[in-house]
Amino acid sequence: MKKDFLAIGLIVLIIAVLINGTHIQSVDEYYLTHIDDITTETDTVFVSIRCDTILENYEDLSSELQSKEFVPTDGVILAKTEYVLRPGDTVFDILDRSVRYNKIHMEYQGANANSFGSIYIKGINHLYEFSCGPLSGWTYKVNGVFPNYGCSKYTLKDGDVIEWVYTCDLGRDVGNRWMGEKAS
Amino acid sequence: MKKTKQILCGLISIILLFTIIMQAVCAQPVKHLYSEQEILKVAEDIINWKKSDNKSSVNGYLLNDAFLELAGTTAGDWFPIGLGRFAYQDDEEGYLAVIKEAVQKRYGQAEKLSAAKATEWHRISLSVLAMGGDPTHCGTYKDGNSINLIADGTYNRGKTAPLGKQGINGWIWGLIALDSMRYEIPKGSFYSRDDIITEIIKRQLSDGGFALSGKVSDPDVTAMAIQALSPYYNAEKSYTYNQKSDNKQMQKSVRNIIDEALVCLSKMQLADGDFASWGTQNAESTAQVIVAICSLGIDVQQDNRFIKNGNTLLDGIMKYRMKDGGFIHSLAYQADNPTSLPNKSNSMASEQVLYTMAAVWRQQNGMRILYDFRAEQSTALRKRISNLKSKISSITNKTSKSDIEKLLKDYYSLSESERNYVFNYVKLSDVAKGLEINILQLANKTAVIPDKGEEDGYLPVYFILSDRIAVSSLPKPLTTKQYVEVVKLLTKLEQSENFDEKETYRQILLNAKNDILAIQNEIDSINAQVKNKLYPFDKISLKDKAVVDDIVNRYKKLSEYDGQKIERYEDVLKTKTKVDNYLRAVIITVVLILVVSILLILVALHIRKRRTKKRHEMEQLEKLYEDE
Repeated sequence: MKKDFLAIGLIVLIIAVLINGTHIQSVDEYYLTHIDDITTETDTVFVSIRCDTILENYEDLSSELQSKEFVPTDGVILAKTEYVLRPGDTVFDILDRSVRYNKIHMEYQGANANSFGSIYIKGINHLYEFSCGPLSGWTYKVNGVFPNYGCSKYTLKDGDVIEWVYTCDLGRDVGNRWMGEKAS
Repeated sequence: MKKTKQILCGLISIILLFTIIMQAVCAQPVKHLYSEQEILKVAEDIINWKKSDNKSSVNGYLLNDAFLELAGTTAGDWFPIGLGRFAYQDDEEGYLAVIKEAVQKRYGQAEKLSAAKATEWHRISLSVLAMGGDPTHCGTYKDGNSINLIADGTYNRGKTAPLGKQGINGWIWGLIALDSMRYEIPKGSFYSRDDIITEIIKRQLSDGGFALSGKVSDPDVTAMAIQALSPYYNAEKSYTYNQKSDNKQMQKSVRNIIDEALVCLSKMQLADGDFASWGTQNAESTAQVIVAICSLGIDVQQDNRFIKNGNTLLDGIMKYRMKDGGFIHSLAYQADNPTSLPNKSNSMASEQVLYTMAAVWRQQNGMRILYDFRAEQSTALRKRISNLKSKISSITNKTSKSDIEKLLKDYYSLSESERNYVFNYVKLSDVAKGLEINILQLANKTAVIPDKGEEDGYLPVYFILSDRIAVSSLPKPLTTKQYVEVVKLLTKLEQSENFDEKETYRQILLNAKNDILAIQNEIDSINAQVKNKLYPFDKISLKDKAVVDDIVNRYKKLSEYDGQKIERYEDVLKTKTKVDNYLRAVIITVVLILVVSILLILVALHIRKRRTKKRHEMEQLEKLYEDE
């Protein structure tokens, strides 16, 4: 009789485990698979990718790119999205993660392939430098400010807001003052 | 006899004194004049800095294999230009072998070198020339035809995209590339030289200079425009065009335009002798101005227009020289900009100063200007030009009209492509115009007396013992790290004189090249697979296990060096862990359900057994009662 109770107890226990889920992980595994989960304690940053300026200069855009597929009607390629900030993450790391996670095309020139020693973003969503006139290309802001150096050299901190914006006028049309002040 | 000598000596000293006084009156006192030795030292120090930056040794190549991997990029092509224009011995063959492969590979894409940037063709053409190669035969198409970077990048660029699609830089560098060997434009081409010149000059701004955009001139762009236009400074031709900035109709010669641009640059020069662009005083703007000044044959250290407070352009640029021999972009430290460390040399400033030093050194030695890659002038031609120049400089208001006409004939008997080396022609032209001489008519009547240049000798190439040892010591298995070495060896082998085992070596090297290309394809394919299959992460399920395991297995087969070329491998590990965890969960579930089932059966059996036993006992008990 006692044995039966023991067995039934065991059965109940196992069923409880089954109901609760059998997704058992080591600490390392848990950390690895939850690295991008946002909780109240994680440091995060925000990123968005927009090409509004092309809408205003549509006639300058290479004809093969004149399509909603490349230039969304609202100019938004990626709406503001929150990502976990891993230690040492640069603006480039977050951009790369966001385009990978959202399957957006992106092409860059590696840090050692140009004399600036920083990664250079050539194209996003098939929109390249010079795709929309001789002064066009991708540039970025962090918290509303245009840093004048490469995106793989900008290390982020908690709460930073990155905006990738396409310019058709060397940054002036997106409010880059340091580029505009001399020539305006 | 002795007396004549004394008189002569006295006369010479008087003349010397007079010239010195004249110079002092004409030129501002200069704080320091840089000798050829000093210029060479600056260049050598840059080269040694870059070698150490490259992790090469002082006696090794600057263009080592790690550097050559960058051939065909902005970081890989300007150092070769600087080295080549100094005739500094480095790995020219290696560079040419790798750039040819790189160009061929990129020509496999629809946009070839670039969809928008014609300057890709220009930069590569110039570096190929600097390394002793021929940009009109830079690799081949699949059908065996030669790739012609000059045609595709300059006069026929318009057949694919406008030369100026990227802006004024496309026109400027297109003209520099076109004139690098004074290439002839075949009939039926898209652009003529005048088309390109007009596109540049109509972008002149009202202050005389040029800029990428806007109405305020930028020193770099102004200087580059002068570099491109400099071969036409002496031409008497006048262009009629509409200026872009204000749509005014203009009629100007290239000389008018360059003179205005020089005034603009002179005004921009700062007290230290340097320049500022985009609001920052920097080395590169000064470098571009020096190259521009040298391209016109203006003495870079003595011309009043470019001396400020006794500081020359060279003083201006030496400000940016670091203790380690390299150069820095800017001395102004911006706290938020990690690239502006005020004491760390950087490649862009250093490579630009290196070729600028080559431009100065060439001026000091009366050689061709920086972007004129033709063979140096023969001694006879040099003499013709220097005689003409000294005759022009001694023109006074007493020189007779017939003498002026004679000098003009001397000038127009030079072949057109050499006339820009008569740097003081403008004086002759002005005097002739004052005397109402019809220069064009005289030019047309004058026959060109061509110069018999010195012919290049043929130098045989041998696949020497060290090359053969290099082939046999290629590691097994190969990695992409050996790509540059294999391509270099293969190119050298193909150019070398015949020897017995040439075919054997060719097969070994061809196989090695194919193996490496296969590894590179595998790397590209894994990278594409990662990008396409692993995202978004939250959609990953057990169904993806085969794909993830396949990626991991293929990654493990790569060497350590090649494995580093897999991007975001941490994401692969993350996905693999997730999938494996799923699988483990499924296994655990199945096992637990099995255990529960077995336990249930056991309990049931046990209960049944006990019941049977009990009934048996009862039956026996009943039997006992009945018996009683």
